[in-house]
Amino acid sequence: MRGKTFIAHDELPEVLERLSKAMDVWIPTAINDEKYEIQFLPYQSDRLPVLDRQSTMPPKKVIFPQVETLLHFSRKKDENNPFKSHIKLEDEEEVSPVLVFGARPCDVRGFLVFDEVYLNGPYKDPYYAKRRKKTLFATLVCETSDNACFCSAVGSGPADQTGSDLWIIPVDGGYVIEALTERGENLMPEMGKDATEAQVAEARDVQEKVAGLRVGEADLTQNSDAFEDRFSDNEYWRDMAFKCISCGICTYVCPTCYCFNITDEAKDLDGERIRSWDSCMFNHFTREASGHNPRPSKLERYRNRIGHKFSYFPKKYKGMIACCGCGRCIRRCPVALDIRNVVLSLKKNKENVDVCK
Amino acid sequence: MPMDEKTKTLQEDFEKNFADLELVIGWETGFDRLHATPVFIRQPSELGKLVWNPLCSQNLSGYLAKNLDASIQEDGKKIGICVKGCDSRSLVALIQENFIDRKRLYIVGIPCEGTVDLRRLMRLNPSLKNVRKVDIEGNKAVVETDQETLRFPIEDVLARKCLRCLYPNPVIYDTIIGTPVKPRISEDKAYTAVEKLDSSDRKQRLAFWKTEFDRCIRCYACRNACPLCVCQDNCIAESRKPKWLTQRDGIREKFLFHMIHGLHLAGRCTECGECERVCPVEIPTMLIKEKMNQIVKDMLDYEAGIDPEAKPPLLTFDPGETGI
Amino acid sequence: MFVNNPYRPEPAVIKDIIQETTNIRTFRIVLNDEEKMRNFSFKPGQVAQLSVFGVGESTFVINSPPTRKDYLQFSVMAVGEVTQALHKLDVGDEVGVRAPLGNGFDVEALKGYNIVFVGGGIGMAPLRTLLLYMLDNRQDYGDIIVIYGARSPEDLCYRYEFDKWRDGGINLVLTVDAEAPGWKENVGFVPTILAEVEPSAHNRMAITCGPPIMIKFVLAGLKEIGFENHQILTTLEKRMKCGIGICGRCNIGTKYVCIDGPVFSYEELSKMLPEL
Repeated sequence: MRGKTFIAHDELPEVLERLSKAMDVWIPTAINDEKYEIQFLPYQSDRLPVLDRQSTMPPKKVIFPQVETLLHFSRKKDENNPFKSHIKLEDEEEVSPVLVFGARPCDVRGFLVFDEVYLNGPYKDPYYAKRRKKTLFATLVCETSDNACFCSAVGSGPADQTGSDLWIIPVDGGYVIEALTERGENLMPEMGKDATEAQVAEARDVQEKVAGLRVGEADLTQNSDAFEDRFSDNEYWRDMAFKCISCGICTYVCPTCYCFNITDEAKDLDGERIRSWDSCMFNHFTREASGHNPRPSKLERYRNRIGHKFSYFPKKYKGMIACCGCGRCIRRCPVALDIRNVVLSLKKNKENVDVCK
Repeated sequence: MPMDEKTKTLQEDFEKNFADLELVIGWETGFDRLHATPVFIRQPSELGKLVWNPLCSQNLSGYLAKNLDASIQEDGKKIGICVKGCDSRSLVALIQENFIDRKRLYIVGIPCEGTVDLRRLMRLNPSLKNVRKVDIEGNKAVVETDQETLRFPIEDVLARKCLRCLYPNPVIYDTIIGTPVKPRISEDKAYTAVEKLDSSDRKQRLAFWKTEFDRCIRCYACRNACPLCVCQDNCIAESRKPKWLTQRDGIREKFLFHMIHGLHLAGRCTECGECERVCPVEIPTMLIKEKMNQIVKDMLDYEAGIDPEAKPPLLTFDPGETGI
Repeated sequence: MFVNNPYRPEPAVIKDIIQETTNIRTFRIVLNDEEKMRNFSFKPGQVAQLSVFGVGESTFVINSPPTRKDYLQFSVMAVGEVTQALHKLDVGDEVGVRAPLGNGFDVEALKGYNIVFVGGGIGMAPLRTLLLYMLDNRQDYGDIIVIYGARSPEDLCYRYEFDKWRDGGINLVLTVDAEAPGWKENVGFVPTILAEVEPSAHNRMAITCGPPIMIKFVLAGLKEIGFENHQILTTLEKRMKCGIGICGRCNIGTKYVCIDGPVFSYEELSKMLPEL
């Protein structure tokens, strides 16, 4: 087993370049020089990782692409009857191995939520499974939380290594890399030179310091019953969802939001059945052909979002909260709706509910 | 008038008039002092939450045409609402299109020196933390943190829409807070961004938009944040019957969505910039609407959301139309 | 190809189409793969996702019983994108089938009980599969009453087999909303007729399906007669996409209609969050 390694800042492109010969390497990177937002894209020599702040979009699409083909369908002529044809279905495409370099603990935690539903349920999702199996995470210990972050409030934390294969710790002049899994260990020969004792010590200090941080003051993990008690309090949900403008940002930037739509997109009889990200904030999400909608307004839809993450999910999956505390839904919400306040208010009595945050 | 004083005047004005109001829509401090958030007030005791500062970006007029749900009664009292110059134009447009009854509104107008584009601010100062207060003093944006006071040239931190705004003063109101402010540009400079883009050739323009739209994640925040995008749950983007767009994430779909979004706002967009502000992947979506407005202005000499009595040109049909 | 892909439909061919009412058609289909058709097993009440390739999928109960496997039968009301596309298909056309999905009725637990079916309109479809299953295992069940209503005689599905149901010893009570020429059976809403028939709740299970407003009054009527929540079963409908508990839209609280349902007892429903 190789010990810890060190990659100097100016050596990082070289390391990524080498790695990307063997696998797809996804990095958080700036849209372009003039923009602020960070997104995950495959490494290219003209794309540098930006590790000093959280990415706008999580690396969710690496394993759960925004649009994914489930089936190709086409017409095939009958062998014995020229006037007949049969549908031909094809369903699998090969995927390459992937390394996600520079994700944060919250980003990785999103996939732990996915796993419960996509891998451990009564049906295994083969599309998710094939990508998940081939994806490794080199994760950055997170020193840059802001006022929207709350990973510690949902049972994780800025130094949470769960789900990661390699661990990246910023130190003076570069990064110390540590393998956390066997798969991560296999990549260690590519991860720069051996770290010096001083670098290892510095990395340990950083890790200890970050592990001691509490990001997000409250505890948001014990609210599933409170949610049920509040379920029929329409006034509460009206007030909580009042400012929501029913867009899909919170769900699309969320590392744990996993709901999708399935549609056929075809010309005549040749085409594809695709699945695409969907949002429970949209009216059509549950609207039935008859016109009936069990969640007809943003009140019911927002309630479902809270319920799903903080009540239904933990009830189904041993207390696990379907929220990683990354804060993106708060930071990116056009009207700065704060999910923490909604969850915390579940337990408050009417007079103390602060409806305005 | 300094910002704190405006906030105070705002609160006092609503307090004075609260007997006639069933709801006040304004801004309050959000999850931290760098973020404002809409607030809906039903009790006078809560008026102290109201704030006014250059972070109050949200255009609240959209709530009146959609998203209010059933909580507002048909024959109730008035709704109090705070508007900046650009927001007030959206109100006018919604009044013109009969989405709102002017008589139901109590409008508090706030002359606006511009709102801060948080992305631009954070770009200049990525480690900005513990912000206490943001204000505008002349040509500087002043950011007070727990540790220091920072001053930025407004050209560097104001929203793009604010730097080209011709209507910083509300065009419709019942009360106005503070004194009118001067636009930062002259009228002939309003469309410089569009003109710059137009000066590149067709291929370059196409390449520009392809690159920009390629990032679109189809979250529809631009649509939903737009006060004038009123189709709500019957948008072409999601309709399967008729089916205009597939759910694929190709450039064709994204391009078409943004073009239709832009076209539907021709001569209606009041340039509040919400579409551009809320976009999580920084697509300059308002440029399309600016172009539409430039055309409408040139051809029909019309500007959206100025005169409640005027008929928007694309809502009228005149066989003898001279501008076309 | 994935060895086991729950999203991949089995190609199937339409063998027969029956026009039930002006906007309801019944499709009888057979899987193209003969071996798969032979080995196909399901429980009454389980559902299928039917594909019209190029249009999409929609959820329907397999309304033929597992005891009759010449074909799988689906009754489709033309209301949405997929259902309208299905109505345009002819005998010999191909569709896709993902089935069986969902829980279905627990036919073992129902053994030995008297049964009353209460159905309205196309809500008879999920009842039909269980009804025919019981007819084919007649000795396992007690007396069976079927109360079935629709707006008009022309809106009743499966009219052509009513005689067979009666021959099998079913007490079939039919009703329509208003008098119609030539109609000799009951006139009145289903809940009213239910109250008139007043089937004893003793040792009996009630199974109901129909439009929500009918269900509401049938439920009240059954309670009036003396049925307890656990004696009443119904099947729910929700917008579904994946049908396998993943895509996230058909839940009522923690329960997913696609995998935990569509059959629920009122005992279960009364403990679920009120979001139907």
